[in-house]
Amino acid sequence: MDDNETMGAMLARRGFGRRGLLKFAIAMTSSLALPPSVAPVMAASLARARRQSVIWLSFQECTGCLETLLRSPSPTISSLIFDFISLDYQETLMAAAGSAAEQTLREAVAAGKGEYLLAIDGSIPVRDGGVYSMTGGRSNVSMLETIAADAKAVLAIGTCAAFGGIPKAYPNPTGAVAVEDLVAGKPVVNIPGCPPVPEVLSGVLAYFISFGALPALDDRRRPLAYFGTTIHDQCYRRPFYDQGKFAKSFDDDGARQGWCLFELGCKGPTTHNACASLKWNGGTSFPVESGHGCIGCSEPDFWDAGSFYTPLAGATLPGWRNAAIAASVGLVGGAAAALSGRRKTAPKPEKTP
Amino acid sequence: MTMLEIARGPAMQVSILIMVGGIGWRLAGILLLRRRPQRAAPRHGFVRRICGGLSAILSRFIPRRTFRRGTAVSVVLSAVFHLGLAVVLFGGAPHILLIRQITGLTWPGLPKGIVVMASGLTLASMIALLVRRMTHPVLRLLSTVDDYLSWLVVFLPVFTGILLSGETIGGYATLLSLHILSVELLLVWLPFGKLMHGLLVFAGRGAMGVTFARKGAAT
Amino acid sequence: MNSPVVAPSRAATVDDAGRVDQAMRGFLAEIGSGAALAMEACVHCGRCAEACHFYVQTGDPRYTPIHKIAPLRQAYQREVGPFAFAYRLFGLTPRVTAGQLATWQDLIYDSCNMCGRCSLICPMGIDIAGLVEQARHGMFDAGLAPADYLGVLAEKEHATGSPFGLTRAQFRDMLHQVGRTHDVVMHVDEPRADIVPTVSSVDLKTYPASMAAIAKILNHMGAAWTFRTDGFDADNASLTAGDRAGQRAITLSIVRAAMECGAGTVVMPECGHSFTEMRWEAANTFGRSLPFRVLQITELLAEGLADGRIRVNRVAQTATYHDACQLSRRGGATAAPRVVLHALGIDVREMADSGDTGWCCGGGGGVALIKRAQALRAHAFEIKRRQVEATGADTMYTSCSGCRQTLDHGGKSVNWTTTVASLLELVAANLKD
Repeated sequence: MDDNETMGAMLARRGFGRRGLLKFAIAMTSSLALPPSVAPVMAASLARARRQSVIWLSFQECTGCLETLLRSPSPTISSLIFDFISLDYQETLMAAAGSAAEQTLREAVAAGKGEYLLAIDGSIPVRDGGVYSMTGGRSNVSMLETIAADAKAVLAIGTCAAFGGIPKAYPNPTGAVAVEDLVAGKPVVNIPGCPPVPEVLSGVLAYFISFGALPALDDRRRPLAYFGTTIHDQCYRRPFYDQGKFAKSFDDDGARQGWCLFELGCKGPTTHNACASLKWNGGTSFPVESGHGCIGCSEPDFWDAGSFYTPLAGATLPGWRNAAIAASVGLVGGAAAALSGRRKTAPKPEKTP
Repeated sequence: MTMLEIARGPAMQVSILIMVGGIGWRLAGILLLRRRPQRAAPRHGFVRRICGGLSAILSRFIPRRTFRRGTAVSVVLSAVFHLGLAVVLFGGAPHILLIRQITGLTWPGLPKGIVVMASGLTLASMIALLVRRMTHPVLRLLSTVDDYLSWLVVFLPVFTGILLSGETIGGYATLLSLHILSVELLLVWLPFGKLMHGLLVFAGRGAMGVTFARKGAAT
Repeated sequence: MNSPVVAPSRAATVDDAGRVDQAMRGFLAEIGSGAALAMEACVHCGRCAEACHFYVQTGDPRYTPIHKIAPLRQAYQREVGPFAFAYRLFGLTPRVTAGQLATWQDLIYDSCNMCGRCSLICPMGIDIAGLVEQARHGMFDAGLAPADYLGVLAEKEHATGSPFGLTRAQFRDMLHQVGRTHDVVMHVDEPRADIVPTVSSVDLKTYPASMAAIAKILNHMGAAWTFRTDGFDADNASLTAGDRAGQRAITLSIVRAAMECGAGTVVMPECGHSFTEMRWEAANTFGRSLPFRVLQITELLAEGLADGRIRVNRVAQTATYHDACQLSRRGGATAAPRVVLHALGIDVREMADSGDTGWCCGGGGGVALIKRAQALRAHAFEIKRRQVEATGADTMYTSCSGCRQTLDHGGKSVNWTTTVASLLELVAANLKD
């Protein structure tokens, strides 16, 4: 594959014509919430573009994110996006191993200096000098430091890379942190989710390749187009919430009738993600649709935010024992106040008239 | 920790403990004072006296006929406020969930439309009550910081609750946090100011009713 | 605004700080959980104003009942309440000052009849009238009871047992004189008796016929009865002035006198607060339940009419009845006078507000004895006048000489044609022979 071949030429060679590219661009622009007029521009840009070099590093992770992105039903537009990039380093996918792999990484970094996108999945352990996750004798921290320095932008893929995820959950034995905690002075995009919605990555890449810049982000550096609303906002069960119709258990009548899962602990109202609109497995379904409440996996510290089955309005109560102690303290204080009050209200000594 | 986690976790626990301790303190401080003996021969027996207490608790919800004209505005506004608050508190689905979590008791919730309407009425009546308090000569004379503070700590949960139900600004998590935090503020202030009347009203009416029924006087 | 008047006998001896100190102790003494609950429960709704004739007639917010006890509430919050330490520490409630007490004198005395209408309207069940009585204790102890008539009478009563300083001998002479004038057999200081009636100072001074009426009725009943000169004047001006010691002395003298002759019933005269005091408070003062019954004269009449000991001729008359607050709303004897009126065959036209919700005459709670409160009393009378005239009755009966006197005075000032009369005297005049 010639690195200088434009993508238009490459796609044409593979039987994917201009019309197909435009359809893809329309889908991407709509998923990015861009005006329809942008679609032809994006299609034209994509056709002209050189393939973008991407270096993908896997740190403290489970490979679930990569699996999700790879196992999207094929052929899909999202899988096609991988044809637009030159994945120059990805340990799981590449044939090379050992020192050959390390050599590949060095070459990729040198060749694309200042131009490559750095994709990260997994959190980075920093405790004890970062010894809890090493590749070829180098800690993740040190790899990230040097490789991010020459990247054009950094994509934190999955909740671990974006927010620390499960490795960072209490008690966080490895001192795991998110990418954005370590990378300074570079644009960082967080694409959280455990795993993230594949179309979100496609969209961000398409945008970057087309326009050479990152899409609009929210205050957590998430693409606004996908994370601007909550699961709850877009949920097809929302009307039941508004009517106060809630499933009370997973097999009751309400659950069978598809009522709102709020009372069963659904975290949809506090979870920003695109599951409810883009859905999963080629738009087939998403967790709420299959009968389970959202667990909020794309939110920071979701693992420590209480039970998945505690309703959101609920609270962690102090417990009867503590309440009894507080009541006792109050009663004793009040009794002391009353004693002092009794002294001051004592009847005046009687004068015999 | 996010604001929501703080609101639902430690802040909730601390505020509940303060409330429980404060209520205990205030009740003990009142009830453990000297009790004045009632040695006069009662006009009515024990049962009629208890009935007098119970009837006072119920009958004082609505003023006697002769007082209705003078108190109409006050009665109507406060009735709308209290009833509206009760509908929201005991009819709103998320509130019922919380009650179930604490007590194990549950009942079907009201449709969201009704709850939103009730909270709107509550909000409107609260604003009217505030305006009245700030303009009516008697209320201006009587009002203290407690009156305005208590108004505020009730107003905030109602207001944030309405914002939350419409998810107008700031997103669900932020609004929910603010709503819960405002309720916690209310819980913390409850034992120390006039909001305590929620409990004292029954004790006050009951005690008065029993005393007056003992005399055979109207309760 | 009235200038503060300080009881002359005390004014010289106490400076401002001392006065505040005495007031505080007086406010707080004997505050129990009941009064505490009342003061804690107030939500400042202001509805009590609508029950008070002084507010309703003048529109002056100072006359809001709960506002009248503000100094008492301050004292309670700073010294006794559950969070008193915080109220003191952070200055959440200001100290009671001498100036404030002076300012409040006309609120605690002149403009409160302790009629208890506000206690009936309060949505929290606060007995505001009871709190005013408590507040008067502090004011009296600080020498801040109005020094004119009320203060003078209370002091004399405290010293002699009678607001007019009557000695036992003078009282005995007076009773015999009344007996001769009205041709009725008087029993005075009999060693044994079943029934001991008492009198009020207003009767002694203004309506001596009422004493003859009591004698006539008791004779008619064939009762063994006697007036006791060692406990005769139930007036208790001390109570309304806030003098606990005086109040106690008057009450105990009547209790002892009745016990002395082994009475089974003490009959209270046509007087309001002397009844609530003897009926509901005397046992507490005495320290145990009383060994006799306490009946207001209308209750005795109703009882006698029911069991046939009293037989009356029917009177063809249309009349209305004024409830003394202390007898009906505060004392629970609302039904008795109506039983009597019906037994007499009188066509009773009730006022729009009667019985438990009736309006005060304006003179209750010792206000009739405060000269400068004259103008305020006229406001209260105005309500009464309207309601009485609306009934169309030309006679108004009442069972309280205090009310009767106040209404008489009010009527004279507007050249009223309505006659104010005593229910007791009406019965006495219509006994069957």
